[in-house]
Amino acid sequence: MLATYAPVLIFMVISGGLGLVLLFIGLALGKGQKDPEKTSPYECGFEAFEDTRMRFDVRYYLVAILFIIFDLEIAFLFPWAISLDQVGLFGLVAMGIFLAILVVGFVYEWRKGALEWD
Amino acid sequence: MVTTLLFYAFASVLIIAAVGVIASKNPVHSALFLVLAFFESAMLWLLMEAEFLAVVLVLVYVGAVMVLFLFVVMMLDINVERMRDGYTRYLPLGLVVALVVILEIGHVIWYRSQNLPFLTVPEPNPEGYSNTRELGSVLYTEYVYAFELASVVLLLAIVAAITLTMRKRPGLKVQDVAKQVAVNRDDRVRLVKDDAGTETET
Repeated sequence: MLATYAPVLIFMVISGGLGLVLLFIGLALGKGQKDPEKTSPYECGFEAFEDTRMRFDVRYYLVAILFIIFDLEIAFLFPWAISLDQVGLFGLVAMGIFLAILVVGFVYEWRKGALEWD
Repeated sequence: MVTTLLFYAFASVLIIAAVGVIASKNPVHSALFLVLAFFESAMLWLLMEAEFLAVVLVLVYVGAVMVLFLFVVMMLDINVERMRDGYTRYLPLGLVVALVVILEIGHVIWYRSQNLPFLTVPEPNPEGYSNTRELGSVLYTEYVYAFELASVVLLLAIVAAITLTMRKRPGLKVQDVAKQVAVNRDDRVRLVKDDAGTETET
């Protein structure tokens, strides 16, 4: 089974190696003169006003968590689709109930306005 | 042979990434190291022929959970200097947790050395064996109750997330497109007669 993943491994080795080589070339051939003016942040000629770290609206968090939930739902669908001939009608009904419960949640978040971005 | 070498390669990168999570000063770098750690553990699962779990780990944890982690890290507005102060304060607790983990690992290694019959290394799966298919064939029949419970847990998560983060901001000016389209002339225009007797639209 693992042999089928050999192309993935080759891809990982080449892409990782290429990334390292490019970094190394830059490090080896670059002159690397660093002075305080060069390393200071540049903001259209102004001094930097404030820290880059700032508060995000909590609604981004809501979108991300709703995304995770439906991502997990999809993850449950994959093995079901593959083994559908084995689990038969019973599996179909089981998945129907599973999806119905999640649709309740979906309708709830829709009606509640969690998908709106006023 | 090759798989053993790969195991050591992935495991060493995993350990380096895990050390990077707690050692790097920038919390965003920590989160990215955690992505690498998840990725390497997915590789280890793949070496154990648990394909489906490996792919789901990348899909769910790297794809979704880490996005959430990055949001949280950015939302917390962390002051790096202040975070350093907690280092000595939480050190005793960290040492206790580390000790417990070391004891657990030692326990597992000790168990292995006993050569108990149920601890033999399983045979590699034959050609054409699908881990995902086997998982599906029991998940939706034998463990169907747990599977339906999973959907209830997900529903609970939806409700909890909405209750915790939804808030209506008062005084917010919202554009209602349907209302804008449905408006007609009488709602907006009023005819006023002035002294000279001419009608003016206001």
